[in-house]
Amino acid sequence: MALLEVKNITKSFISEGKKIFVLEDINFGVNKDEFLVLVGPSGCGKSTLLRIIGGLEKPDIGKVFFHGEPIIAPTFEITMIFQQFGLLPWKTVLENVELPMEIHRIEPKKRREIALRFIKDVDLEDFKNTYPYELSGGMKQRVGIARALALQPEILLMDEPFSSLDALTAESLRKEVLDIWTDKTNITDNFIMVTHSIDEAVYMADRIIVFSARPGKIIGDIQIDIPRPRYKYERCKKFFSLVDKIKKLITK
Amino acid sequence: MKKSLKIYLLSFIVGILFLIVLYSLIMNKVKNPEVQNLPYYTFRTLLRITVTLLISLAFGLSFGILVSMSKKASMIITPTFNIMQSIPILGYFPAVLILFISFFPGRVIGLELASIFLLFTSMVWSIFFGVVGAIKSIPINIIDAAKAFNIKGLRFVTNVIIPAIIPALISGSILAWCDGWFFMIAAEYITYAGKIYSLPGLGSFLAKSVYVYSDTNLAIIILVLITAIVMFINHFTWHRLMDKVSSTGYMPLFKLGMFSLKEEKKLTKRRFQLHFKFRHKILPESKHKDYSLRQIIISVSIVALIFLIAIYTINKGILNLKTIKESILVPETFNLPVYTFFTLSRLTIAYLISLCLAILMGVLAAEHKKFATIFYPLYDIGQAVPILALFPILFVYLSQIFGGRMGLEITAIIMLVLDMIWYMFLNVVAAVKSIPEETREVSKIFGFKGMNRIRHIILPAILPALITGSLLSWGTGWNTIIFAEYMPHGKEPLSIPGLGSFLSKEGYEKGNTILLVFILFIISTIIILMEKFIWDKLLSKTKKYEIEA
Repeated sequence: MALLEVKNITKSFISEGKKIFVLEDINFGVNKDEFLVLVGPSGCGKSTLLRIIGGLEKPDIGKVFFHGEPIIAPTFEITMIFQQFGLLPWKTVLENVELPMEIHRIEPKKRREIALRFIKDVDLEDFKNTYPYELSGGMKQRVGIARALALQPEILLMDEPFSSLDALTAESLRKEVLDIWTDKTNITDNFIMVTHSIDEAVYMADRIIVFSARPGKIIGDIQIDIPRPRYKYERCKKFFSLVDKIKKLITK
Repeated sequence: MKKSLKIYLLSFIVGILFLIVLYSLIMNKVKNPEVQNLPYYTFRTLLRITVTLLISLAFGLSFGILVSMSKKASMIITPTFNIMQSIPILGYFPAVLILFISFFPGRVIGLELASIFLLFTSMVWSIFFGVVGAIKSIPINIIDAAKAFNIKGLRFVTNVIIPAIIPALISGSILAWCDGWFFMIAAEYITYAGKIYSLPGLGSFLAKSVYVYSDTNLAIIILVLITAIVMFINHFTWHRLMDKVSSTGYMPLFKLGMFSLKEEKKLTKRRFQLHFKFRHKILPESKHKDYSLRQIIISVSIVALIFLIAIYTINKGILNLKTIKESILVPETFNLPVYTFFTLSRLTIAYLISLCLAILMGVLAAEHKKFATIFYPLYDIGQAVPILALFPILFVYLSQIFGGRMGLEITAIIMLVLDMIWYMFLNVVAAVKSIPEETREVSKIFGFKGMNRIRHIILPAILPALITGSLLSWGTGWNTIIFAEYMPHGKEPLSIPGLGSFLSKEGYEKGNTILLVFILFIISTIIILMEKFIWDKLLSKTKKYEIEA
């Protein structure tokens, strides 16, 4: 059985009195330890799907099963990092990372210890007592990552995590995320990422699910068998042919 | 004809009919020698406020543009206006009154001008600061584009500035309009040095119905009438204008709770956003600015000079140290510390009550549709009721229950709460609404619920807006307290000890203008010190954590 099972998901919104379908009959499974990327044109509902998986939104029809149980609300085991980082501006880096653990009643001593470990993992030790407004975009997103991982979830959801960063910062952060994913000491080994950058998807994914324009339907489910670390293969033919293949699917 | 325009016109006519029925009912049922003059009184009051609004618009617009275009002008004008804005209007009213009357002895025109001046000083600031803020928030790329195409001078004003500030002008006008009604009763019916000065109008009719005819029922009827008129005009002019500015279609606007709550709510929400954007952020921001010592000295001297000239004129040129000393050092002057303490306590109690209520109501209204349907119309009405007009009515009832002094004490607190609460409510709602969707999702995904959500997300997010709201509500609170501690009418004048009653007694009853200015100086100093050392400090502390929308 797959770790996560997306079954018959359909979702619509009401806009100015009209019903608009964003997702139509979406079905797929997520395997253990998989780095899954959802790509598609903007407005195809991929972010909505991520939110449904996270329990933030409810589908009209269908269910998402996690370990065979339907997801009805956000859970401890699935956390998320956000496009605009979603840090609380009135809390320091350390407080931001600790807060979710406090909510989940992890005792103070232990949560401090875990928080410091993950802050160290994302190289922010020297900034643990600063407020978000003093940090750069890349640093903010690293806090977001540390905060999500500190809960030691099974699945990490990422909603266009690099799209509000500059190109160079995004590149180094992509590597960091991949390092975290391959690091076996981490409990979190399942990543699901939404992006509209096909290059980024091919660079990071084990498997890519391609969405059509609205209403979003699955028009491709592609295994990426380029060996890792991928930076060694970024310029090879296979990489480009995969990118082209997906681009064709989307623009068709 | 568009359907929505039809609905608009229809509801307009229904509104007019409603008012006509109300008028004829009152004029036929109420037995009062003056009730037949009701339409005339309405006309006079409307005229007075409209004229003042036009003057304020002209003044606010021209000075607003001047300040934004010229750095030099802004250096002096902005801090000066800031100080003037901090001085409670009702405090200097007796001085203004006597000044204008001395210009036109024995004629009504002096009184009329004095009331227009008072209304003007209450209305102009909303417009001025709104204009300044709106010009400041014109995106820099638009200004650059204008520069690149060589659009300068008058063309720049008509093509760039005016269109950009129209929402601010309308928003400022609504607030000014409501402020005008607020001060109207004080401006139309004044006791000064034992004499009653009254102008024909709704405000004076209401005051007379209590003080002359002792007819509280009539007073309540007039109050309801005034509220209905204010709301009607708000809906048919301002809100509609605002609507035209911010969206395309026509919208039916005279929709109080009973018509369609959904539309009403939508409009109130939009109004909230505009008010919040153009006034509730800008005014505190301009106060928050650090002025240089030179600027402060210049602006303080300008204000002081204006007052000096006024006193000099009122005292007909007799102004020397001896008269000043004699006027200021009356026996009661030595009670000033006690008075200050009492007045501050009243303000603090009322502030704390309205703070708690506003947070509760604001968060509920912003988060739950059900509460919004209750609180938004309540806000609409609450803003339209001229609170000073409520004063005599409330007092009559409460003094019957609690006795004179206690009654006045409770009346004062209730008035202050009713006055202070809406500023904070508006700010809380706008702040909760402007919490980014992402922050809400963060709180959901990490499982914040109940108290955790309030403590870690909602309260810190609304903190800057709460401080802004507090600053504004203290500002208006000082105005109300001057009025609310002293009841000059009735069988004998009644007062509760405090700065407000001291000022009213010396200013309105005894006509001691020098002492009046002295007390006013103390009050203004307290206000400015509080702004500098409490609100400013808190504002800069929380400002950096403010979420960028």
